[in-house]
Amino acid sequence: MILSALILVPLLGSLIVGFYPGVMSPALSRLVTIGFASISLLLTIAIGVMFDLSHIGLQMQDFLPWLPDLGLNYSLAIDGLSFPLVALTNLLTVLLAFNSSVGLKPGEDLKRPRLFYSLLLLVNSGVIGAFLAQNLMLFFLFYEIELIPFYLLIVIWGSEKREYAATKFLIYTALSGILILAAFLAMNWLTGAASFEYGAIDTTDLSRNTQLVLLALLLVGFGIKTPLVPLHSWLPDAYVESSAPVSIMLGGILSKLGTYGIIRFAVGLFPETWVSVAPLMATIAAITVIYGSFCAIAQTDIKRMVAYSSIGHMGYVILGTAALTPLSMVGVISQMVAHGLILALLFYLIGMIESKVGTRELELLSGLLNPIRGLPMISALLILGAMASAGIPGMVGFVAEFMVFQGSFSAFPIQTLVAIVGTALTAVYFVILLNRTCFGKLDTKGAYYAPVARWEYMPAFILTIVILFLGIQPSWLVRWSQVTSDAIAFVM
Amino acid sequence: MTQTLEAPKTKIPPSTHPLAEIIYRLEAGGTMLPDTPENLMQIIGLYKAYAVPMDFYWRDLLYIAEQVFLNPLPWSKYFISDEYLDRENKYSGDNADLRIWRGCGDAHPELREFMAQGELKKNLPNILHHLWHDRINMEFAEECMRSMLWHRDMYKPWNQFDGFLDTDEYKQNCDRVIKAYFKGNPAMLGLYKLFPDMFYEQCRQMSYYSNLGLFWEVMAPVFFEMSDLYDEGKMTSVPAAMDFLVNGIFAIAGRPIYHHVYIKGECFEIIPKSKGFTWLYEAALPYVEAVFYRTAPFRGTKSYNAQAGQVPDSQPDFHYGVLYADKFPVGTAGIPPTFLAQDMLHFLPDYLVEYYKQHCRGEGDTIVQLAVSFQRSMYCVTSAVIQALRAALLYPLDDEDPEHLMANRQFFEAQMDRFLRPEARIRDIQSQEYR
Repeated sequence: MILSALILVPLLGSLIVGFYPGVMSPALSRLVTIGFASISLLLTIAIGVMFDLSHIGLQMQDFLPWLPDLGLNYSLAIDGLSFPLVALTNLLTVLLAFNSSVGLKPGEDLKRPRLFYSLLLLVNSGVIGAFLAQNLMLFFLFYEIELIPFYLLIVIWGSEKREYAATKFLIYTALSGILILAAFLAMNWLTGAASFEYGAIDTTDLSRNTQLVLLALLLVGFGIKTPLVPLHSWLPDAYVESSAPVSIMLGGILSKLGTYGIIRFAVGLFPETWVSVAPLMATIAAITVIYGSFCAIAQTDIKRMVAYSSIGHMGYVILGTAALTPLSMVGVISQMVAHGLILALLFYLIGMIESKVGTRELELLSGLLNPIRGLPMISALLILGAMASAGIPGMVGFVAEFMVFQGSFSAFPIQTLVAIVGTALTAVYFVILLNRTCFGKLDTKGAYYAPVARWEYMPAFILTIVILFLGIQPSWLVRWSQVTSDAIAFVM
Repeated sequence: MTQTLEAPKTKIPPSTHPLAEIIYRLEAGGTMLPDTPENLMQIIGLYKAYAVPMDFYWRDLLYIAEQVFLNPLPWSKYFISDEYLDRENKYSGDNADLRIWRGCGDAHPELREFMAQGELKKNLPNILHHLWHDRINMEFAEECMRSMLWHRDMYKPWNQFDGFLDTDEYKQNCDRVIKAYFKGNPAMLGLYKLFPDMFYEQCRQMSYYSNLGLFWEVMAPVFFEMSDLYDEGKMTSVPAAMDFLVNGIFAIAGRPIYHHVYIKGECFEIIPKSKGFTWLYEAALPYVEAVFYRTAPFRGTKSYNAQAGQVPDSQPDFHYGVLYADKFPVGTAGIPPTFLAQDMLHFLPDYLVEYYKQHCRGEGDTIVQLAVSFQRSMYCVTSAVIQALRAALLYPLDDEDPEHLMANRQFFEAQMDRFLRPEARIRDIQSQEYR
């Protein structure tokens, strides 16, 4: 039942914050949200304590017949692939509940706080449900639940071009959902499975071409969510036009559903066909890395720069998945977590800069490391975040990328080398970002930025500590997924 | 609160200068700084905060020039002797030649208190306060002195001090002092024999130590007195503050500038008083030129890129002095605020401490706020110098002759030309919101 609690607790919190009939002040709604998010985080810790690291396969299963005649069941379970992502989601939710005002101008309050917090918890509940669902239709249900809250989060709390970004997001992700639904239904019908249970689907008897078509549907569907080039064009707009907390949710939480779906369903249900498409996927991954990096270099908006950086970094995940070696798969799961943590940190810090300085434009930002009138701590953390994203040793990004490259080189040496070039390009655009933003001369006339309160630093500090800790002690990240990733690779 | 002035209804046409509004203010007997109570409070508060460390600067500068002199290992040059702390200022105290400040003649009480306990408020050995930089930062004063030394040949022919440093008479005086100072030290005398010019150059530097020390010996009591008058409600406007400075400048304009060295109690005159060098032309003008317009203590606030051809060919084209300085600790975003700002921070009057708390980041960036106030206060001093020069070289402001008024106008415009470059802060200080 503990897995169900992971879904129900934030759902309950969402209903209370959103529909409590009495008056609920913004502070109280924030407090209630922090409370429910913290309970979820504590439950995650409890799951971590109970998690059997040596167990191959699913653990702590919850099963409840729902519409058995239609093959629909409420079926939840957790393994080494989903647990790190559940933990990441719950950690980020607590941090966002703690400071949802990041990105707002000084003195500006979060508008419609109850709705915001309610949607935050609803998103958490839906994403956790998707990570835990073991029934394809249940997964699809949770997957689609995300759509409306995220649309609202972008369109209500976004910036100037939010309607455009939200509509684009809606169209892309709806298309993604349709393709995935089509694939799931086709799998059930064509295989003649008795239910939509993940374990009940066996595609090995399907013809090669049928498998290829179904796999393609899944890859395009999840590829949109990830996103992969050339299915990515919704992402920069959605990330940039969203408020900082929503960008963190999109990048830190939602994008992981795409890569999770590829590993769980594309690789898991079509292992042999995956081998056929793997070279193509590795090539697409390498192109994604290089394309994302070059686009990032060309940006003048630091948030858009980080958004393109995110596209590039998701390429590493696909590269490792294509290689499908035990080491690359551990690297893939680690990279998903690392990407979520680092992207959340970077978006949080950029939100703080936007709050205090009022711009994200590289041309206008300068000298933020100034110890007296600048944002020295924010800048210092931004430097750390950029170093982590660039894969500097000692931080979690290095560990993940190193494992991906080490594990992928034997399978796809050229694509891996191209991706390694991408890490060098990461350093290029982050040097540009840091050099122009943090260093140089503070603008004399405009540098009257409000100071950053200590509590505002807190989420960034926590993320930095986790990034450093997992970078120095990577076994704490790898241990959860080692057995599962070995099992995924062993299937091949 | 920015004051706007219309063109005065005089016999000369309106100025077409980009800083015409400020020129009108100067022609009306005002300053480059708008006359507001806030500005007055800031500049007077800063004069007081500046005067306390300045009381140390001038004593230590003279101590170095007169006692430390050419010591090749001057470890103790910042550890001023009691004799110099007790030394009576010629312009304050009961024994003053001309009493400008009503207070004491020896070191200011706040200075003594700070020297004893520092910012740490602990009676630690001097060396620990020194190493912890919990002290008066003499480095600032030395940088000012060096900038005067580096920017030589200024204000000729009025400034004759500088030219004298290259004369045979000066070298003969130096020779006598060097031989006396290093008597019984064959190594240093041997070096002197081999590289005499190096020793002469060191002597010139020491002479500038003395020059600046004698300059600041005057300015410290002037600032103390202005602060007291303000506290008593007797100084009520920025022009009044400037007038006080102008009057002070003329009162002590003839103060001799000299350089004496004391070796085993015997006084050696490197630059005797009889040379007739005076405070206004040989110290004040070169100081304002070197420190306010182009100076080293504020380096890092403007970075010249030699490869980009930004380094001026001519030394007078260097403009990065206090009036131009960006007060943020910039350069590499890690350069600390100027030592002077740190020194002044210890001696701010209470009303300024409270004032800074109400703006920007309060205590968090007081050091930057006070540095901006310092810039305002130095614009007031510069205004005083400009008005004093105008009075000395040209015509009264209320002169009836249009030609004279036009000569004054051209003088003011020429002065304002120096603030036309974008780095100049004169436009910034016109706004009260520049903090």
